[in-house]
Amino acid sequence: MLEITDLHARAAGKPILKGIDLVVRPGEVHAIMGPNGSGKSTLANALAGRPDVEVTAGDMRLEGTSLIGLAPEERAHLGLFLAFQYPVEIPGVSNMEFLKAAVDSHNKALERDELSAASFVALAREAASRLHLAPEFLRRGVNAGFSGGEKKRNEILQMLLLEPRLAVLDETDSGLDIDALRTVASGVNAFASEANAVLLITHYQRLLDHITPDFVHVLLDGRIARTGDKSLAHALEADGYARLAESGA
Amino acid sequence: MTAAELFHARVLEDGRQLRKRPRYAPWLDRGPSLAALEDVPLPEPRSYTWEYSNPNPWYERYATGSDDDESTEGIVASNGVEVSDFDAAESRERDIIDANLNATIDRHRYPLASVNDVLLRRGVVVEVPAGASGAEIELGPLGGDFERVLLIVGDGAEATLLERPASPAHRIVECLVGAGASLRHTRLQSAADSLEYHLVSSRVSAGARYRFAQYAQGSAMRRNDIHIEAAGDGADIEIHGAWHLSGRRHLDTQINVHHSAGGGTSRQTVRGVVDDRAKAVFNGRIHIAPGAQRTDAALSAKHMLLAPAAQAYAKPELEIYANDVKCAHGATMGEIDGDALFYLRSRGIGEAVARDLLVAGFLEEALGDLHPGEARALLHVEAREGLA
Repeated sequence: MLEITDLHARAAGKPILKGIDLVVRPGEVHAIMGPNGSGKSTLANALAGRPDVEVTAGDMRLEGTSLIGLAPEERAHLGLFLAFQYPVEIPGVSNMEFLKAAVDSHNKALERDELSAASFVALAREAASRLHLAPEFLRRGVNAGFSGGEKKRNEILQMLLLEPRLAVLDETDSGLDIDALRTVASGVNAFASEANAVLLITHYQRLLDHITPDFVHVLLDGRIARTGDKSLAHALEADGYARLAESGA
Repeated sequence: MTAAELFHARVLEDGRQLRKRPRYAPWLDRGPSLAALEDVPLPEPRSYTWEYSNPNPWYERYATGSDDDESTEGIVASNGVEVSDFDAAESRERDIIDANLNATIDRHRYPLASVNDVLLRRGVVVEVPAGASGAEIELGPLGGDFERVLLIVGDGAEATLLERPASPAHRIVECLVGAGASLRHTRLQSAADSLEYHLVSSRVSAGARYRFAQYAQGSAMRRNDIHIEAAGDGADIEIHGAWHLSGRRHLDTQINVHHSAGGGTSRQTVRGVVDDRAKAVFNGRIHIAPGAQRTDAALSAKHMLLAPAAQAYAKPELEIYANDVKCAHGATMGEIDGDALFYLRSRGIGEAVARDLLVAGFLEEALGDLHPGEARALLHVEAREGLA
């Protein structure tokens, strides 16, 4: 599904990723953990094609196609989805209009038929209700005035509608209370299947109490320092990243 | 002599001749306007409030007189609304015009308004009776380069005035909004290559509500002066401005909200998008006179520049002479937000569509509920249907 080899990248001109190797197969859930500044978000943004992240070496392949040099929208059409750590507020564009434009663009790129407005509205409402979001939420401006929890649920809503092959969730748990965390986790669990894969980027272990990863990777200073199963996350919670950094050094 | 002086001299000469053999609405008393013109020079390039707009081409274009009158439908109004042409006005209408025309206009601040009186080619007085509800007036081109509309909304009446796109040389719309009345006034200006100067001058009485929207594209030179007075206690004023300029077009909008009575509110929301080599000029002034206590005024003006050679000049101005007031203002200038663009593109939305969505969303903030459908069509930001 996803194959990252010796990936080096700079963010804002500064080297952040210093040789990432990662393989994600269909049906797998991977968690990437690490302290602040270890390169977690840069990895997510490198995958999605954020303009201020510059890949300087290595490769990232999604189902065999290299993502290097592709526009963000082309990566999305290949089946990549990034749930943002800080979803952007766009006050004058309604959420519904935004979601329809996103789904339309996928259907067009994949040469599928365009959904009628009516059937799209039904689909969006159904997905919203699964995330306990009122229909009113779809009429509001994109993320405008949304609470932290609503913004994150809106990210999951987009994921459910776009049905990506690979979903990258960048600190989707940050800023969520326990109820919102459960809602988001159940959305991700409902989404995850043998046909897709999930990459969870998180600082804390608590999300992993609700979504069970197959693999846990620890990112330190732009490299994967350790890989294990979910027990690694528990060990980190108990000992912290500093201990791991010492033992790795 | 400058272009302004030459034009000024010609208008004065015309005015003096008009006194002898007026061509249009001969009964109209142009004396005060002529007297004002004797006193006040016309704006020169780079003079105050004309720093970024050059009036010379306008003077030159109209120095040799305006085009002949064209007969047009011009104005359509719903039942119960009285519309009379100045030229055909009977004594009752003449009395109303005499009593009210120019009542709201400061001839020294707006010297070009006096020019309109002298060169007038078509004027109408529109009366909405007191207490009327649902009155609708649609205004197209009246015919003739120098046009005048005097709208009187009676006490407690509710009316809507929609100005369809028209590009006369000079249109003045004067609105008198009676006590407790409500007027929704939308002006649409489509892209053109004309030279235009316009003035909206409105007086809002006690407890009345006036909502004004200007949705515009640019022209070769298009200047809109807008003067709105909160003249009675508790007058409520809402102004929406949205423009989308491209090519080498120009739009200069100067809004002056004048609070002369207490307890009034005013809100100005302006969003301008400027592309190519176009130029937007905006000045939003809030004047709170001594005694206009408990006034609550706010102004938000944002411009988005889409091209390196696009220009926007925006200035908020506050003049506050009362001490118990709330007054907020903000003006920003920016480009398309890179984070928002990346966000949309990461959802598969192509760059061109994403930019269009962001431009539409930006302008949408200024539309309110004043003819938003017409606004979107004019600004080329048609929303997707059926998604409400």
